Formats: sequence, structure tokens, C-alpha cells
Amino acid sequence: MGPAPAPAGSSRAALRDPVLAPVVLLLWAAVALFVLYPVGRLLALTFWDDGPTLAAVRELVGSWQHRRALWNSLVLAALVGAAGTALGFAFALLAVRANLPRWVGTVLDTIVLLPLISPPFTAAIALIFALGPRGLVSYHVFGISGLNIYGLGGTLLSETLTYFPIAYLTLKGVLANIDPNLEDGGFSLGARRWRVFRTITVPLAAPGIANSFLLLTAASLADFATPLILGGTKFPVLPTQAFLQITGLYDMRGGAALSFLLLVPALAVFVAQRWWTERRSVVTVTGKVGAATRVKSLSPGAVAALVLLCALTVLLVLTFYLLIVFASMVRALGADNSFSTAHYAHVFSGGLKAIRDTLVIAAICMPVGGLFAVVLGFVVARTRFPGRRALEFAAMINYALPGTIVGIAYLVAFNDPPLALTGTAFILVICYVFRYSLAGTRATTALLAQVDPSLEEASASLGARRDVTFRRVILPLIRPALLAGMTVLFIRAMTAISATIFLVSLSWSLVTVRILEGITNLELGQASAFSVLVILLVYAAVILSSLVMRRLNAGSLGQAGTLLGG
Amino acid sequence: MSASGARLQLVSVSKRFVSAEQGVAAVDDVSLTVEPGELLTLLGPSGCGKTTTLRIVAGFEQPDSGRVLIDERDVTGLMVYRRSIGFVFQNYALFPHLTVFENVAYGLRVKRLGAGAIRERVARVLALVGLPGYERRFPNQLSGGEQQRVAVARAVVVEPRLLLFDEPLSNLDAKLRVQMRDELSRLQRQLAVTTIYVTHDQEEAMAISDRIAVMHAGRVAQVGTAHDLYRAPRSVFVAQFIGRVNLLSARVVRASAGGAVVALWGREVTVPADGPAAPGQTVSLVLRPESVGLRAEGTAAPAPDVAIAGVVRSRTFLGEKVEYAVEVAGTSLQAVSYDPLRHGLFDVGARVQVLCAPASLRVLRS
Repeated sequence: MGPAPAPAGSSRAALRDPVLAPVVLLLWAAVALFVLYPVGRLLALTFWDDGPTLAAVRELVGSWQHRRALWNSLVLAALVGAAGTALGFAFALLAVRANLPRWVGTVLDTIVLLPLISPPFTAAIALIFALGPRGLVSYHVFGISGLNIYGLGGTLLSETLTYFPIAYLTLKGVLANIDPNLEDGGFSLGARRWRVFRTITVPLAAPGIANSFLLLTAASLADFATPLILGGTKFPVLPTQAFLQITGLYDMRGGAALSFLLLVPALAVFVAQRWWTERRSVVTVTGKVGAATRVKSLSPGAVAALVLLCALTVLLVLTFYLLIVFASMVRALGADNSFSTAHYAHVFSGGLKAIRDTLVIAAICMPVGGLFAVVLGFVVARTRFPGRRALEFAAMINYALPGTIVGIAYLVAFNDPPLALTGTAFILVICYVFRYSLAGTRATTALLAQVDPSLEEASASLGARRDVTFRRVILPLIRPALLAGMTVLFIRAMTAISATIFLVSLSWSLVTVRILEGITNLELGQASAFSVLVILLVYAAVILSSLVMRRLNAGSLGQAGTLLGG
Repeated sequence: MSASGARLQLVSVSKRFVSAEQGVAAVDDVSLTVEPGELLTLLGPSGCGKTTTLRIVAGFEQPDSGRVLIDERDVTGLMVYRRSIGFVFQNYALFPHLTVFENVAYGLRVKRLGAGAIRERVARVLALVGLPGYERRFPNQLSGGEQQRVAVARAVVVEPRLLLFDEPLSNLDAKLRVQMRDELSRLQRQLAVTTIYVTHDQEEAMAISDRIAVMHAGRVAQVGTAHDLYRAPRSVFVAQFIGRVNLLSARVVRASAGGAVVALWGREVTVPADGPAAPGQTVSLVLRPESVGLRAEGTAAPAPDVAIAGVVRSRTFLGEKVEYAVEVAGTSLQAVSYDPLRHGLFDVGARVQVLCAPASLRVLRS
């Protein structure tokens, strides 16, 4: 046997390819224009004022308010990372280490998916309903008044409940991969349960725990919606400060500088997370899975405690969602609890335009972004051209950056001629495509890893150019990746706000923006009705997508679900 | 379906590259000519460069230097899809999402043939490979041998000017391999298409090829018919790679017409050789195990044979033949005796007379 077939020849050959070369150029041009250029403009605005300057950054660091925003952001992110990972770990332990009946796992998965696909303000509004000054739970049930949910506590609780599912999905996979026979080995050496857990289970899960912590930290750093509602003036964080600097004070340079301040920790966390996941997991090194053995690492007492904790969490999450549904159907939750369809009437009259706009944009995003994702995934995985790794990295930047930074960068870059694109549907689509295609790209590379390169060579040997090969051979084989990518794009287009809030206009608005307006105008019933609608639409899309996926005979959306994080 | 065979030439083709799986692989200054309609096999061990050479012919790889000519036309820089080749892959590379019909029709659709012509040609070629009626099946519903036939059908239906096989039989079981080998050979002769066939199996190569190019460390060690390579290897590598061999050390006494007179086992014998051998030089003599005769000690040797006393050190009974290792003058000789029921067996430790005919020896040029 000769050497293994290299993916489609050398880089020299790639440059001669009459189809590949233009495609690569096109991808580079798109990434340069919609990723590198805006970030470059943002940095230029921060560090260039008729010459290099640190004035904007110095001014920031000099401001007490901004220093606090930076500190708050970091503290909040670390706390959310820790609390969310702990909660996710408890759920994961219960799901794979407690020998519970199968349906418990299914129920957990279904409920846990809720916060992942909800519009950004859901948990925050629900928290106000439940525990706010006139909260249903705090005031009406327990008679507590003066409970303050605004500030670090409320924001932390809301973000933890929103993001712990990411930790759960990550850690469930990690724990499921730890061979129970290893724990049996510990027992056979005389260790008791707690010792086995401490010396075997946790160390083996450590890479997953670190990964989950970093994912949640990144999500919290980037979160704009929750602190906007619950942070208040006493608890400023960087994304909200940057937003207010621009929309309130019309200070683009200040907003850009704040973005830069946020960019540094966000990028650091992203790089750290990539580094963790690219290291080979300890778990896989154990090799062959031994004989099936019943997991016995949790004592009945521990299981009971976990059940209690998880049941309470699930109850809280369910209460939140029921509250939202309830609030959308009564006149004014807490004050006048009589049934009313007024909020939905508003949604389907005055709110209709935002719904239509959002759906139109989502409908354009799906094919455009889906195709971009699979073409990029294919080109990166299967061809060799100079700068391939650089393109792969550059295409990831908008995903890695908090939405607020991307939004401000787009605002800086595309607000003036010749590229006055803000406020158009075009820029909204572009923003989603370059921010949320990564899921599709990753699914594509994962699928292509199972497709032998000889299929492409066979096609070429039969006279097919590379574009024909892509259309007739590759595309049919990676349909599941295309579907997963398009589903994620749809969900994101329905629920995202942090970047696009800077780009909407009177002619193109979004449902999420209407939700925010409802909250700021204290029309929480309307906001709830919009939220319920978005959740229903997204759930419908997820179910439809998993039905189609089942027909395509490929993995479940549980896998796509893990791609939703961030 | 008469594909016109093209003449293929490789001129000083070289390629070096480092691959993650195999380390450094290389093709080093390979020149070859394949005549129209001929089947040439590239034979060699793992990593000898045979697959890379084939992939350079196909256009999957670009050589660092050298040229590839098809019918005197330089195609070195031509993209794969313009070369008019048919390639049969080791893993068949059937498109899993397409039926047998669509797999075979693929190349015709790419050429934008009409639906009628496609149907007709697919039916014809499926009949040719013995799979009529399989049109609607999917690759995962076929056995290994059937997949192999579909892969061949898909490659020949476009009437390529070159047919390239990359270890096509290595995924089949031994019995099927022999059957498919004969079918491929028949098909290739019927179509008279110029063919390059890569394998590491010398028996397969000898059975199927018009000529064989033995490759070693990126170079062509020797090209010739199976008989040439077996009878007159030009290097120790080729002698050892094609079949089994005893290499006897002997001193040249003088040159003679078409060979050399050497001193072997106390006699002077005339042995065929390719070129002149200088008197006094020590050479290796090729002696195939089946040319080694064993007799009970004390019987007289037939006149032309050289003989020496030996001791049987091991015996392996394989039914149709017996393999012996015999110790002769301090070295070990392999000997094979066919039809053991007729010739009897020697026990381990038996003293025997070892014989060989000078005509079955050959001087190996060093």
C-alpha cells in the first residue's frame, strides 16, 4: 500500500483549480469585509486619532464607573461559570450516574433545552414576575417586601438558570464516557464512595469541568440582555455600559473603547477554551470499555440530595415559563389577574411587522448561512490552499466575540457611505450569517471526517469538476450538517439581540427588540406574549428539524443542542 | 464498447512528500512506458511509491518534477477531470447516496449524455460485469465482490483512455480474489484499454499482467514479464520479492558465451548471465527452491547436475508439496519437493545429497 490519499492534492494544485481558487477568494473577501474590516475599524477608532493614541483607553480606565463595569463583568462571569458548572454537574451526575429510569433523562433533556432556545430576556422577566418588588412568589406567597433582585444577585441567578444547560450537556457527555469499571477498580481497592468520587470520578471529569466553566464564563461575559434588565445602575457591566455609551451618549469612541475592554477577557477565555478542548481528553485514553457494570458511585443519600436539587431547579425553570405564559394571558400580572387576549391582539397587530421582519430575515439567513457554513467547512476540511488555517480562524472571530462588540464594530464600519448598511435587512442577515454559521461548519467537518476522500477523487476521475463534485456527491452526504446549521441559524435569528440591537431600524425591526421595548416601557404582558410566540416558533422549528434529521438518518438534535452554546 | 488504448509515458517523475500517516513517501525518478492495450502492474511492498505513481498518472497528485505523457501529449499539469481516466479504488469509493444505476451513470451524466444513451450504456456495462438487474440497489446492499464490479463498471462505462486500479482486490477474501482477478483480466483484454494495476501481491501481479514493474524505495527496480522477473532478476531485491530464492555465493572462473563459468560445490559449471563477469569476481547465483533436488545419501548424481552433501534441518508438510531447510556447507538452503507421495519424505536430521542443474542457476549482477 502506498501513502494514504492526501486531501485533494497539494496547495499548488489547489491554486490551479479553476473552481476552488475563486471560491477561496470569495470566502476570504467575505470574511475580510464582514469580520476583519469591522473589527479593524473598531480597533482603529479606539487606538487612532490622527495618530496612535491611548487616550480613549486611558479615559476609560480613569473612570470609576467603567473600572467597576470591568470588575463586575469579570466577577459575574466567574461566578456564573462556577455556579452554572456546579448545577450542570449535579444534573449530569443525576442523568448518568444515578441509575434512574430512562424517562427521567428524557424529561431532563426536554426541560433543559428550554433556556437554550428562549429569547434572551425570558429568565430576567420571569425573575421580576416571581421575585420582583411585587413578585408573585416573594410578595404574594411569602409576603416579603423590599426584596431586591436588581444587582449582582438577580443577574447571577438569572444567568445561571439560563446557561447551566450548556454545562449539563457538556458534562453529561464527559461523565458518560468515564468507564464505571474504573470506579469499580477504586472500590475493589477498598475505597469508599466519597473517596472514589473524589479521587477517580472528579479528576477524570476535570477537563470537562474546566471546559464547561470556560464556556459559561464566555456566555456570561457576552450576555447583554440579562444585566440590561436586572443589573440596574448599581451593577454596570461592560456590554450594557458600551450599549448605553452609544445609544444614550452617542459616544462611538467611548463605546468602541469599552468594547475593546470586553474583547480582551472574552478572547482570552475563548482561546483558553479552545486550548482545553483540543488537548486530548484523559477519558479517551483508557481505551477499551470493559464489561458492563452497574454504576454504584452514588450513595442513596447523595442521589436523594441530587434529586432534590434538580427537582427544585426544574420546578423553578418551569415556574418561570408558566409565569411568562400566564403573564401573556392576563391584563397585568400581579395587579389585575383577569384573563385577557389584549397582549396577543397587540402582538398580531402592532407587533406583526416585527414578527414578519424576523421571519423574513431568518428565512434568508438559513439558506445563505447554511451554504456558507458547509462550503467553508468543506473547503477548510478537504482542500489545501495557502492561508487555510488563517481563514478558519478569521471566520470564527465574530462567533468568539461578544455580540455587543460585533454590533458596535458593525455600527462603526457600516454606518456611513460608501457602506451605509445599518438598518437594512442585508446587514442583519450578514451579521447572523457570520456570527452563527460556526455550528454548521463544525457539523460539516465532523461529517466529512467520516467521508473517505476517495469519493471526491472518484468523481473527479469520472470527469466532474470540483463544483460538480460538491453539488452531486458532497452536498447530499452532508445534508444533516446543513440542516443542523440552518436550524441553529433560525433559532439565533429568532432569539439574538446583543449584536443586532445596534443594527435595527424603523424599516427592519426584530421580535427581540420589541420584547426589550416592552420591558423598558413596563409593558411586561406584551413582552411575555412576544416571548411565548418566539419560544413556540423555535420549539416547532426544533421538532421539525429533528423529524427531518431522523429521516436523514443522522444523529439527534441533542448534538445540535450542544452547538447552541454561546 | 471498444475503448481505444492510449500510450502512457512517465518521464523521470519524482515526488517527495511527508504525510502524517506514513512518514516520508517518495517517487524517485520513475520512467515507464505502457503500450496501448497493455496491462502493466506496479508491484512492490508498502511505501515503495507504487500508489503515489498511480495517483500521479491519475492527476490526484502533482509530481515535483518529470512529465506524464498520454499519446505523446504532456498532461502533467492537466486537472484530473480532463484526463479521461477510469480509476478503481481499493475501497471502491462507490457513492453511498446513489443507486448502482446512478453510480455507473455518474460519469455519463457529467458528460451530459442523453437519458436514452445513458440507460443503454449502463445496461450494457452492467451486463459486461455480470450485474444485470442490480440497477436499483444501493451500495450498502451489495457484497464486496458486487461492489467491486460496480466500481469497475463505473470506471469503464465512460470509455476511458487509461484504466487505473489501486489494489482493487485487497478487500476481498482469498477465493473471490482469484475469481475477480480472472474476470478483470478478461474484461481488460476485451476492452483493450491501457491499464495500470497496483498491487503488493506478487501472485496477483503474475497472473494478470502483461508486464510487471517492481518498485522499491520509490524507484523502478526492474520491468519485465512475469517470466523474465522470475527467471532473470537483476537485483537481490527483485529476486527475493518475486517468489522465494536461495542466493549462492560463487567465484567466477572465466567468462563464456551467454554466461560465466563459476566454481560451485567443487565443480566448474557454466551458468547463464545477463552480462560479462570478470574472472576472480565473487557473484551471487539465483537458485529457486523448487530447482533444488534432494536424494538419499549415496545415490549417484545425474551427469549435468552439481551435487553436495547436506543435512535436513526442518520439514514442513503442506500436502501438495514439502518444504525443507537443508544445511549445506554451513549455510541453509530452502528446497521444495512437489508430489511428496511419489518422492517420499526425508526426516529431520537425515543426510541427503543436494542437487541442482546448472541451467536452473542464474548469475545475479551485483
